[in-house]
This record gives sequence, C-alpha cells and structure tokens, in this order.
Amino acid sequence: MQTTIKLTVNGRARTVEVDSRMILADMLRDQLRLTGTHIGCGTGNCGACTVMLDGRTVKSCCVLAADADGADVLTVEGLYTSPDDLHPIQQAFIANQGLQCGYCTPGMILSAKQLLDANPDPTEDEIRHGISGNLCRCTGYHFIVESIQDAARVLRGEASAPSASITGLPASPATDVAG
Amino acid sequence: MKQVGRRVTGLTNTQLAAGKGTFVNDVVLPDMAFLAFLRSPYAHARIRSVDISAAMARPGVIKVLTGEDAYRDLRPIPEAWNTREIGAKGVLWYPIVKDRVRYVGEVVAAVVAEDRWTAAAALDDIEVDYEELPVVTDPIKAMEPGADLVEPAWGDNLLITRDWIAGDVDAALAGADRVVTGTVRSNRITGVSIEGRGCVAQWDAFARKLTFWESTQNPHPLRSFLAETLNMSENSIHVIQPHVGGGFGLKQPPFQEEPVVAHAAMVTGRPVKWIEERAENFMATGHSRDTRFEYTVGFNADGRVHGLRIKVIADVGAPTALLGWGQSFVTGYSLPGGYDIPDTNVQLYVVVTNKCPWNAYRGFGKDAQSFVMDRIMDHVARETGLDRTAIRYANFIRPDDFPHSQPSGAILDSGNYQGALDKLLKKIDYAGFRALQAQAAAEGRRIGLGLGQELTPEGCAMPGALMISAYDGATVRVAPSGEVTILTGVTSPGCGNETAFAQIAADVLGCKLETIRVIQGDTELCPYGLGNYSSRGTMYGGSATQLAAQDLRNKLAEVAASMLEAAPADLEAADGTFFVQGSPDRSVAFNAVVNQVYRHTFGKHAEGVEPGLESTRYFRMGNIYHQPETQGRFSNYPAWPFGSSAVVVEVDPQTGMVKVLEYTLVEDAGTVINPLLVDANLHGAITQGIGSAMYENISYDENGQLQTATLMDYTIPTAIEMPMFSIEHQETPSPFTPLGMKGAGESGLGSTLGALCGAIEDAFPELDLRITDLPLTPNRVWQSLRTAPRKDGSGFGPSPSATGAARPAVAGAVEAIR
Repeated sequence: MQTTIKLTVNGRARTVEVDSRMILADMLRDQLRLTGTHIGCGTGNCGACTVMLDGRTVKSCCVLAADADGADVLTVEGLYTSPDDLHPIQQAFIANQGLQCGYCTPGMILSAKQLLDANPDPTEDEIRHGISGNLCRCTGYHFIVESIQDAARVLRGEASAPSASITGLPASPATDVAG
Repeated sequence: MKQVGRRVTGLTNTQLAAGKGTFVNDVVLPDMAFLAFLRSPYAHARIRSVDISAAMARPGVIKVLTGEDAYRDLRPIPEAWNTREIGAKGVLWYPIVKDRVRYVGEVVAAVVAEDRWTAAAALDDIEVDYEELPVVTDPIKAMEPGADLVEPAWGDNLLITRDWIAGDVDAALAGADRVVTGTVRSNRITGVSIEGRGCVAQWDAFARKLTFWESTQNPHPLRSFLAETLNMSENSIHVIQPHVGGGFGLKQPPFQEEPVVAHAAMVTGRPVKWIEERAENFMATGHSRDTRFEYTVGFNADGRVHGLRIKVIADVGAPTALLGWGQSFVTGYSLPGGYDIPDTNVQLYVVVTNKCPWNAYRGFGKDAQSFVMDRIMDHVARETGLDRTAIRYANFIRPDDFPHSQPSGAILDSGNYQGALDKLLKKIDYAGFRALQAQAAAEGRRIGLGLGQELTPEGCAMPGALMISAYDGATVRVAPSGEVTILTGVTSPGCGNETAFAQIAADVLGCKLETIRVIQGDTELCPYGLGNYSSRGTMYGGSATQLAAQDLRNKLAEVAASMLEAAPADLEAADGTFFVQGSPDRSVAFNAVVNQVYRHTFGKHAEGVEPGLESTRYFRMGNIYHQPETQGRFSNYPAWPFGSSAVVVEVDPQTGMVKVLEYTLVEDAGTVINPLLVDANLHGAITQGIGSAMYENISYDENGQLQTATLMDYTIPTAIEMPMFSIEHQETPSPFTPLGMKGAGESGLGSTLGALCGAIEDAFPELDLRITDLPLTPNRVWQSLRTAPRKDGSGFGPSPSATGAARPAVAGAVEAIR
C-alpha cells in the first residue's frame, strides 16, 4: 500500500510517497538519493544504516519509513553543506584515519555524534560502548576511538582543529574511483 | 619534502567520511531491474525438476533463469587456479546448477523482476523437486574408505594431497632427546566485509558492449572470467569497480552470481542489479581456515627441534572454481614457518565436504601455519621447562641464513626474526610481567601473557593462474597544467594503497603530493593489472608507479637541465621545483618544465625529448621460480613479512570469559611507505585475528545446514572487546622490490591465534592446561580449565584461591593493567 509521509530530512521539509512496507533506509537511499546511509545486514546488527531520528540514533533498516512521518531525520549528508565545512567529527575521522573502506563510516560518525552530544568528555570505555552498535571490519576501532577523542577536544573548544596526533595532510587531495 | 615514510592520511578519506563514496548499491541506471538468487536449501541433493511457471506468472517478474539456461547458454566458470597444473582435482562449475547441488547456498535459479521485493517473493514460487543425497560434513570420516562422496566421479574426497619432505625426519626423531605429539585445530571462519557482494550489469546490444559494475577486488581478471563464461570477446566487456566496502579476499572472482547477472542483462535487455544479502554472504561467499593438525616433534633439552612431522587436514567445502581451497595448500607450503628445522615432513590432505567452498580470506592459510607453529613451540617449551622465548630463539632461521629454502621449495627472501622478538620483549618489558601477574593474582585476578610469531608470505604467483601473479602495471601522466594522474591495475578495497602510490610518485617526480590523483578499478581506463590480494598492492603497483614516474622524471630532468644550463644528473626535484644540487637558487618550477614539453615542443629545451608526458610500466618480481626443480617444487611467494606479537589477557575462571587487555605487535614487512596506513591495516588484521580466535565460528549441523547465517550468530568484534594496539615496525627490506617493501595487508593476523592460546595457558601456571582448539569461547575455555590437571597432582581445575576472590569489573582491570 502506498502512503504519503511528510518529514524533515537534513533540515529540509520533504513529502515522500512510500510503500507501507518500505524501511527508512531504503526511503533515504532510493527515494531521496541520500546514499551515504549504507546497508550492511538489514537486520539491525551492523549499524551501517545508523541515522538520527528526532535527535536519537536509530538503525534505519529497522524503522519503517511510514513510522518516520512527522519526524526530523539527520543523515551523514546533513552534517555539512560543502566539503569545506565538514562536521568536526568528520574532520577528526579524516585527520586520524578513523576509516578505511568507508562503508561503516557514516553510521559510525552519527553514533559518535550522539555520544558526544550527550557526553562531551567521554572516557575511552564510554566511547567504545557508544559505538558498540556499529561494526567496523577494517580499523579494529583504534583510530576510530582516537578520532572521537580528537573530535571531543575540538567540540569542547580545547583545540581549534583536529589532528594533533598525526603529521598527515589536513585535507585530502582528490582521488577517483571510476563510476 | 620526502613523502615515502610519512604518515599521510588516505586520499579517499574526505569523500568517504562525507558519505559521498559510490558503492555498487549506489549505482542506479534508468529502467534497472533487480535479480535475486534461489539457493539450495540442501547440502547435497539431486534436482529432479524445476518448475518456474508460477514465478513467471507473478506480476513484475521479467525472467527466471535455471540450470537449463546456464548449461545451454553459458560455459563453465573458469578456475581461479589451474588445478591440473598443481596436480589437484577440479570440477566443471556452472553459474547455475542443473543436476546436483553440493552445499546449502549453491545457485539453483535466478529471478529478474521490476523490483527487488518482487524478485525475492518470486523465489518462493519456484518449485524445485530435490532428492536428498548422503551428506559429507566430517572431513575425517570423509577420508575413510567407503565414505560417501561429494564428487562421485573422483572416487574419493581428496582434492589434493602433498607430501613435502626435507631431510630425514625418522632419523631426526629417533636421535632427539624427546619426542611428543599433539593435535591442533583452527575453526571455520569467514571475512564479513560490512558491504557484501553486489553487481550491476548493462548490455548495449547495438554497441555489443557489456558494462559491469561490481564490488570486486580484481576487475581485469573478472573481465576475462566473464568473457569466458559468457562466450564473449574481452574487449566487449567493461568492468568498473566502484568504492569497495571491504574485501579481505572474499571479493575475488569467479563466482556463480557474476555471469548470471551479466547474462540476465543481456537476455532481458534491461540493466540488472544484484545486491547480496547478509545471509547469502555467510552461505555462499566463502569460508576458510577449517584445519586440523596432527604433529610429532622431536627436540633436545636445549630446546632445539630435531625432526617435525605435521599432518594438515583441511575441510575446504565443496569444490568450485574459487581459489579459496588454495589456502590449505599455502598452510602446508609455508610450514614450518620462521623456524630452521632441516628434517621436516608436511603431509597435506585437502578434503572436500558438502559445505560452502572456501574463498580467499586475509591470512590465506599462513594464519593457520603460524598458529600451529606457535602451539608446537609452546608445547616444546612446556616439555623442556624452558621459557617460550628460548624455544623460539633456539629455532629461528638466522638473519644470515637468507635466502632460506623450506621443504615445499619456498625460498624465503630475507628476515630478522630474532630482531623482531628482541624489540617486542623490550617494548612490553617481558621480564617485568611476572611481577604484574603476581600482583594481579594477589587481587584474585588471572592474567596471562602469550607470544605469537607469524610468517606471512606475500605477492603470490601461481603457475597457470591468470589472476594470481607477481607483476602489475601503472601509468603515470603529467597534464599540461602540471598535475599528475596515476592509473593502475592494482585496486584498493579501502586499504589505502592509492595513497602510497601518490607518495612514491611525488618523491620520484619531485611534485607536490596534493597535485596527484589516483585512478583505479576500471578496465578501460587503467592498464591491465590483477587487482588486490596477497598484500601485493604497494609491492607491485607501487613499484610499477615508481618505474613509470622515473621515466617522466628523466624526461623532465633533461628539459630542466637545459633550462638551468646544468647536467641532468646534477638536478634534484622536490615540492614542485627542479634545482641544481647544492645551489637551490638555481631552480625552475616543475610546471614551467612541463610547460616546455607541451607548449614549446619544438623549442630549445624540449626539442631533444619525445613529446608527451606519459609512461606505462610493469613491474615484475625477480624471485619467483616456476620452473620446478628436481622434486617438482617451485617458489611462488617472493616476499616473506614476519611479525612477533604479545598479548595480555585476563581470564575469569568462573565463566571462561577472556578479555584482551593489551596487544603489542612488532611487524617487519620491509620498508614502510606510509606508517599510518600500515598501522591502520595492522589494527584491522589483529582485530580480525582476535575475532576469529575468540568470537567467530561458522557452524554446520550434521545435515550440512548452516547454523550461523546472521551477525547475531557469527559475532565479529565490536569496539568493546578490542584494546588499543601497540605497534612497532622493524624494516628488513626486500632485496627484490626497488623500495624494499614486502606487503603488509595481511600481516598482524597470523600471530594472534597462538598468542591468545598461550596467554590463556599462562594465566594458570598451576595447571597442565592445553588450549588446542579454536575458537576460545567462554564455554570452551571453561571446559578446558575444569578438565586440566593440576601440576601438583592435587586434582583438576584452577586452584580455589584464584576463583574464590571477588572479581573486579573488567573495565577496572583494564585501567589497572594500562
């Protein structure tokens, strides 16, 4: 059954026609073409599809799109307006190599955001618990934890920019994969 | 500024952190249809009939493909290895099964529909009449005479056997002070990239052109495999690799699904997409490491090993065209690891069963080799009463004994294993651990330290194998604007080799790093190359990049020399400037030199050089030996990274729960191009090692039904289980790569397995505790503890003093240990 829902996505009011069985992740990806939300399992285990729904993280593969009627949704694309104003958490992930293949990264960053919104100065253990619903198979979480620690320092105003810990480039030059 | 050796962050980071990568599921084409696979629900069954009429009648269904279609219109999938060249048995494997399924998950039919829900629903409409056949699940029983057969035509269940002999093992064992035997088992696992497989195919009937996007590691070989199966010319196929959400070996073709999706696009005239579901990933993408070892080892009181016989029995699942079973070959091939044991016999039995076939997974059999050798070394330490490090030092291949030949014919290029262990012991204050352990014991806590050594041969080249070889190519191009593009046949599933190529080219050309763009994963843009596996990316793609960049550097230096009125040999280049050695003020901008080549081709400075600034070069590894010597042995691995690790665990004797408190690795993969990205890879490899040793297990019941098909059943590590890692590098350069790198993608994994077992044993010094089987789940550890005899003969299990104390929270313990 088709149904029409109205919601706010990344600050923009949207009206979307959805199948009543459609999950939020598919609506974001297929209807709104916000493909930064990834699907890794479809069963709520991996966390790649994590988005914020009314200020709290949800696994968008486990939420029906119709249930998001009237909600305020934030996806990874809503954290910035251009490559030059990425969210401090994103900047910290870039500077601290808190990602490799990038598939879990958008969900991981949103879980980190929820954690730091609620707890600006988390311990390492609190960080690990805060992202425990997000599986990463590349990094072993080491640089992710450091990225979140770094971002927390910036968000608390103790540092102006991330990345005291490495000597890499502040921003990445371009690279292409075909397609 | 020299770029090689810098901790440069990954070139793809910004795009990926913004969620702006393009993964295969992000590829959307107009009028695209969706495909779903019907997979066998039986481990072994004959297909009597397939009725697709109900499926075809479902609204929205466009096409149903069955084995009849595949056997009529497609050809068998080519083998990733040429089994005949290495004396193994093979099978004809079609993209869709027609007569007989051999594991749960094998492809039986495919539905193409307007949307993926219709495709999935129509799978239930297909009626397949199966006749169940006897199921082979136990590899030991499978080797017995009269056993049921996975492949009746073979006459047995052995895909290959090998008996590698060096020296005189019987004599060595007879002459040794002591001889002991043991068994070890590494469990069945899989890789679990967070993005599964998937592909999109588009057929242009007028141009006769197939465009194929896939989350694959090997676009060029995939093109060849598709061409063969589809019976098309290779130049009619364009393979594009989008961003890949993790590979770890498991995205190496040739799979059944790839040609089916391509064929579906061709017969329907619609673009067709297939995205793997997680359960499919568990049942059909590939397993690995399920290996039993039986060993007999002789040694003297000084800890020196004299005589080693190891029987290796690998359960590789059903035979297919996939390359995964080769991991068992590599396990046997690379024994006895980093140890000099002249009298060694490795007996390899590669057994097929009615389970998902093995596919390549990080470690590729070297992990199992390192695991069994660590267990043997710890066993000898226990028997001699010598320290575990002493046994390793007594048996390591010496740094001056390279190149070193192994029983299999493998020739180890270089190494310094003592050096790595020295560094490790110093870094962790090995001598100080006993005091820490005693202090913990006084608090009622059981902590133990384990040691792991890993030998990880890399850069594989198999005779007759298209996909597996020790070369690759790169094109380096300088645009009129002075910006540089690198195109290479090596691919990156997220490991960061593109960043290393840019660093290498920046140093050779003397240009700025941020002016370099890297293009990978496109068979029509990039030079032919074999993609990503066996930690080959930087070794081969990086070396090819260096060669190609050097060509351009030579040409530019000639022009610059003319401009500066100096000799080319006297010029240096750095940060976008050519200058005369020792006189930095006599300089010319990189772009100005490029400008001469493009805009003043017939001018004074460029008239002596060939126009254009582009070079394609291939790097060929110098120490592959494929012409077999007298015993038919060959050397197919040219680079042999080594690692030495130490892990500290806390074990709860009451539950068997094991917590990793500290993990330290000293890694020697030769010259490190980018320590940040190598560390990143090592962190991931260690985590996959710990996960596979402690939490992960692929389980089948006796009917060959997969019991672990979700991430709730197959539990990969979360951030909670992992510690921060401590990494140190030792750099023993490869004599055979221009910069000395050996490949680091798989390193870090092999030493985790034995180290964890040793650490658990070490936490209970009062017990004769022998941890021999993985995974180290709480129940199994608890059982091992309960049944372990006390050394003082007073009974079984940990001494009560250690179990009675109230146990602090693990989080607290972590803080205390750090």
